[in-house]
Amino acid sequence: MMAKAYTPGLLVTRHKTHRVMRRLPISGDVKVSLGDVVTADNIVAETALPGDVNPVNLSNQMSLPPKDVVDCMLKKEGDPITKDEPLAQTKGLFGMFKTTVNSRYAGTVETVSPVTGQVIIRGAPLPVQVRAYMGGTVVSVREGEGCEIEAEVAYVQGIFGVGGETNGHIMMACEAHDQEVTAGLITDDMRGAVVIGGARMTAESIEKARNVGAAGIISGGIDDQDLKNILGYDLGVAITGREELGITVIVTEGFGEIGMAERTFEMLQNHVGDQASVNGATQIRAGVMRPEIIIPLASAPADQADQDFEEGQLEIGRTLRVIRDPWFGMIGEVSGLPAEPAVLGSGSKARVLEVKFPSGETAIVPRANVELIEE
Amino acid sequence: MIKAVVLLLAAIAAPMSSLAAVIDLAPPTDVMASDMPNDVGTQMKVIWDLSPDDVTPRGDAPRRVTGYAIFRKVVPTPLGLESTAEAAADASEVGFPANFDFEYVQPVGSVAYGNSEFVDENVEREMTYLYAVIATGPRGSVSPLAQAETPVTAQMEYFNGGKFWFLIITLAISLVIVLFVLIAKRGGTVKVRPIAGLEAVTEAVGRATEMGKPVLFVPGILDINDIQTVAGITVLSNVAKTSAEYDALLKVPTARSLVMTTARETVEAAYLGAGRPDAYNEDNIYYLTDEQFGYTAGVQGVMVREKPAACFYMGAFYAESLILAETANSIGAIQIAGTAMPSQLPFFVAACDYTLIGEEFFAASAYLSNDPEQLGSLKGQDIGKVIAGALLIIGCLTATLATVTPTKVFKVTTLYIKDNILGKDGISLDQEKVTKIDIELEELTADPNPRGGDS
Amino acid sequence: MSDTPAIDPEQIKVILATDCGSTTTKAILIQYVDGAYRQTHRGEAPTTVEKPFADVTMGVVNSVTEIGELAGRRLVGDDGRIISPATETEGCDIYISTSSAGGGLQMMVAGVIAEMTAASAKRAALGAGSIVMDVIAANDGRRPHDQIQRIRDLRPDMILISGGTDGGTTDKVVQIAELVAPAKPQPRFGSDYSMPIIYAGNQDARDAVSNVFDEGGFDLQIVDNLRPVLERENLGPARDKIHDIFLEHVMAQAPGYDKLMGWTGAPIMPTPGAVGDILQTVARLQGINVVGVDIGGATTDVFSVFDETFNRTVSANLGMSYSISNVCAEATMPNVLRWVPFDMDERELRNHVKNKMIRPTTIPQTREALMFEQAVAREALRLAYKQHKEFATTLKGVQQQRTVGDTFSQETGGMTIVNNMKLDLLVASGGVLSHAPRMHQTAMMLIDAFEPEGVTMLAKDSIFMMPHLGVLASVLPKAAEQVFDRDCLVYLGTCVCAAGTPKPGKTCFKYELSGSVNESGEIAGGELKLIDMGMDDRATIALTPARGIDLGAGPGKKVEQEVRGGTVGLILDGRGRSLSLPEDRATCQKTVQGWLDSLDVYAQEKEAVAV
Repeated sequence: MMAKAYTPGLLVTRHKTHRVMRRLPISGDVKVSLGDVVTADNIVAETALPGDVNPVNLSNQMSLPPKDVVDCMLKKEGDPITKDEPLAQTKGLFGMFKTTVNSRYAGTVETVSPVTGQVIIRGAPLPVQVRAYMGGTVVSVREGEGCEIEAEVAYVQGIFGVGGETNGHIMMACEAHDQEVTAGLITDDMRGAVVIGGARMTAESIEKARNVGAAGIISGGIDDQDLKNILGYDLGVAITGREELGITVIVTEGFGEIGMAERTFEMLQNHVGDQASVNGATQIRAGVMRPEIIIPLASAPADQADQDFEEGQLEIGRTLRVIRDPWFGMIGEVSGLPAEPAVLGSGSKARVLEVKFPSGETAIVPRANVELIEE
Repeated sequence: MIKAVVLLLAAIAAPMSSLAAVIDLAPPTDVMASDMPNDVGTQMKVIWDLSPDDVTPRGDAPRRVTGYAIFRKVVPTPLGLESTAEAAADASEVGFPANFDFEYVQPVGSVAYGNSEFVDENVEREMTYLYAVIATGPRGSVSPLAQAETPVTAQMEYFNGGKFWFLIITLAISLVIVLFVLIAKRGGTVKVRPIAGLEAVTEAVGRATEMGKPVLFVPGILDINDIQTVAGITVLSNVAKTSAEYDALLKVPTARSLVMTTARETVEAAYLGAGRPDAYNEDNIYYLTDEQFGYTAGVQGVMVREKPAACFYMGAFYAESLILAETANSIGAIQIAGTAMPSQLPFFVAACDYTLIGEEFFAASAYLSNDPEQLGSLKGQDIGKVIAGALLIIGCLTATLATVTPTKVFKVTTLYIKDNILGKDGISLDQEKVTKIDIELEELTADPNPRGGDS
Repeated sequence: MSDTPAIDPEQIKVILATDCGSTTTKAILIQYVDGAYRQTHRGEAPTTVEKPFADVTMGVVNSVTEIGELAGRRLVGDDGRIISPATETEGCDIYISTSSAGGGLQMMVAGVIAEMTAASAKRAALGAGSIVMDVIAANDGRRPHDQIQRIRDLRPDMILISGGTDGGTTDKVVQIAELVAPAKPQPRFGSDYSMPIIYAGNQDARDAVSNVFDEGGFDLQIVDNLRPVLERENLGPARDKIHDIFLEHVMAQAPGYDKLMGWTGAPIMPTPGAVGDILQTVARLQGINVVGVDIGGATTDVFSVFDETFNRTVSANLGMSYSISNVCAEATMPNVLRWVPFDMDERELRNHVKNKMIRPTTIPQTREALMFEQAVAREALRLAYKQHKEFATTLKGVQQQRTVGDTFSQETGGMTIVNNMKLDLLVASGGVLSHAPRMHQTAMMLIDAFEPEGVTMLAKDSIFMMPHLGVLASVLPKAAEQVFDRDCLVYLGTCVCAAGTPKPGKTCFKYELSGSVNESGEIAGGELKLIDMGMDDRATIALTPARGIDLGAGPGKKVEQEVRGGTVGLILDGRGRSLSLPEDRATCQKTVQGWLDSLDVYAQEKEAVAV
């Protein structure tokens, strides 16, 4: 009766239909239309972000009451102005003794306030371009806002990443899913590639990958100290994606010496040479975001595979991974699902399951500390 | 022999003039001159034993000796230098001439009877002098001249040993200041007690901002040469910076033109520092009048018309203090005052929200700037005050105890604090004074009845 | 909002309540048993607001199913809905819920001066149960374009703007509005509804503010000024408006909530708002000062009621799972490890911490892992309480009344109102505190982190029932009161803590107990002692502190007070305040081990089933 229960897991699938929303931060021009086929590097929308706002208090600078400022303006609202160009001039006495105020900023006169005597000069707009990120077909367009792109893809969710959206062709650095990624495995021909490793990646290997110009590096695990060295600070909260490291780093399993799930590794291995879109952005919070590796498929595979992917059903015989010490990272099979909560070594009571490791050993593990994986 | 000659001479001279000196007194003995220690070489000390005639006469008889006159003579030094100020003297001879004229030579000084010491404060450095003393009596009676055995040279001491304690205390305080400055510079924390009045500056300016009302700053009615006005301007700099950050309107009416100029510079610098140079308007810092009550009336007018939400009074204030504080209180403003005028402090304390009292006002600069040098020196000065306070307490205590219980320890301690630490006796005790104490104590402990010989 | 059917309180016998937290959905069942309402069963399941589920009701159904299994009562029907009304063996009479899932209610607030109107706006938002993402103020030290950029980056559920007293500044308020409007902040859920903006500032600026938000798709709501004069706050209207908008806009947008709202018999409340309501009620009814804490995965909430003034703070990045790494970074590893009486490999530990962060639902399996988590909890609580003290202050910008007697004792406004000596009851909730295997651990964590002084009662909300009761109180106060009394709080006992710096080994205070327990003795400096006092034990304790030691009546003064026992007992703490631990690692381990032993915090006799 208690054989089924929800346990969270990460999505790793050979095939799914995936949509990405490409949205401008503020409204602008969408460059594509419905049905267009785009590649990852195509610009699908662009706009200009309003520039910086610089207030200038003319009332004080000219020693005038605020309401008189408007009449003294040499530039009207909406006029462009360059640095050191006269902005306003007092009427002076009989046309003499005029005071001129020059602008200290370049931009456009946005407002002249008769209440505060303040003039706001807005700096030059900052262009923003949104790329397609994932190759596919434009399936919906929201005028002025953005568009949605759809493709048949192979899809891998990582557990944690740093760095933003990028893309490149897949190259393998490791031969096995439990092989450590060292700097020696990173070669010069990995420029622009998404490098796939096995187990823990060292700080040196990431550094090397960045130096050769790799777009991203993906592996099973990373040491926290190495992450700190790369970022330059101790990450407090898992909200990432805005780091400007020059490379996107994705961890598929966790921190420490942990190998990539075999299935994930094999799947990525099958796509060597294919273009992949990767994004390290992680937000482990409400509205969770996990890093992703998207590999658009040339054609949808005949077997509508992975439809049997049953999310989170714990059953005897299912393969799972322990995600907390003392068996952190070990993979085994569910061998028992006692219904009654059991007392743990810590003294707490929790619902547990029995797991059988390949070595034949069994262990009792809290259900909260396992994660299902697909074979 | 000399005595006889002098006597003889005097006897001959006596009839010559009605005022002529009559040598009929016994001279003082054992005249000795010595260089004053711990001076710049302009003082000489002369001591002698009293003339045998210097006694309290019995009955109604007049005193024979009424005083002593001190004479000196420059002795040529090997360099042949001679003071021009000195009376002509026979340079070839060391010692006073036998025919020394008491009447024509002015003595360098005189003391009353019973005194056996004189300090000549008018000698020249590196000059050698020979001293002589005579006893003088009524109607021109004098004693023969008693000369010092040896001439003495006035010398300057580079170190005033008598002020040794002063050196120690100065060094200690300086060291503490340097130490705290270093600590502060190294990033160590120099804890300064929070001064409520200064902490409240942001609160007061914030209130003005929220209420859309100006901030009024009154820098006192004295000119910029008064230290209180300077301290006030320091606080103004902070108020102006906060006003600039909060974008509140700051008004500074002044009673002196120089204060206005200084205030303008200060406020402009503060606005610049806060990154809001455009918000600075010098018309808001203006001169009213030098007249005390004209100024007060002007400021009051501003208060009543514009209803500032925060008023600062930082500087020297007189009778206008309570007038200003009461007016601002009636319009509901937060008021922060700071002054070192003791007579005005109670008014400010009662009428204002916060008051910086005396020292706090002057410490404001260090407190506000957080500058390690200022903070360190503030801390060092505090240590100095602690030392002074401790000495005061110990002194009072021992002096009281020395009076109540005649114990040598307390008496000597009192003496040491009074004459050595605070006085001029230097590092070691003056043994003579100790002996004196011993004698006093002996007298007290001995038979309370007066000793036979004295009655 | 759901169409709440008229409820006849007399007919309610089975109450089902859920709280959808950010990680877990907790359900409780309250039944009318033998003439009283009692909480009978509970269940838990992971919350399912996130993808791939994106439907909060799944987690609700899972948790309710668990209760159903435990209670032997079918609560969820075949259609996947909660069965209501109840029959003899099935369903419930009323279903209520609170929610902090989807990150709870997230707001941005703005005011003119950060310490004045902006602080009041923050207090209003926090009191309503929201998380304040950022506070924009004219004096927050940011340049206008930085402020605009920040507003753009945030995606709050709503924005509260205040500023100016009534009749006060207008242009500063308009300036703030002028920052918000061009930034065009996007609401968190979906772009198909307008960003709600509540204006609760200077009434003279209403028209000007309305003009600013005229265009650009804002939903401006105007309520009374929350700071009509600087001397007084009026947070009620703003708070109520926040609740309204929470239900009308925010909840309706979150995945699955439209469905959930159809199920509930009372409006869904933000979890922390409900907790605040219950604590205020208790403090008022019993006339005591209360501090409550809820330590969650991402955030830690601290509530306090001192002299009937309620304050709540949310420490956004102090929590036991999502934010665990941040706690370690902010408190620093050595500070965390000082509570751990054995050596741990720092590199491995750092990886453990990060793994907990990325897999927030795991639980410690070994004793060492548990001790480490509880050490982290102490630091998280300590930091959160520190933030709370800094926020819970008297009003700033207030005119002071002085007499000449105040010459040397001028105090500034904005002093903290949190006073550990006056604290009567400390209530703990949140997984790490309420699910600790031994209640001694909870008590110890509370004392170490909050450092209560004098005589303080410790309690825990066993299964985080306060939010449920907060909502229930709005429907059925009688039931809420009964359950709160009997089942909600589990009294851990009373702690008597010496304030001051006792000399190690020398007498800190003497005590004499009379009542259900009769005992006397003395506590030395640095000593901790546990006296067994059961749930129903009451005694009068007479305390004689050493010179300089304060137990409530002032340094060195005697205290006599009634104390009650609990599941832990009476704890006598002679360690002094503020608590300091030896710098040296080995000495520190020994000291901490000594404390843990004297309270028997980690009992050794447990036979471990697993491992």
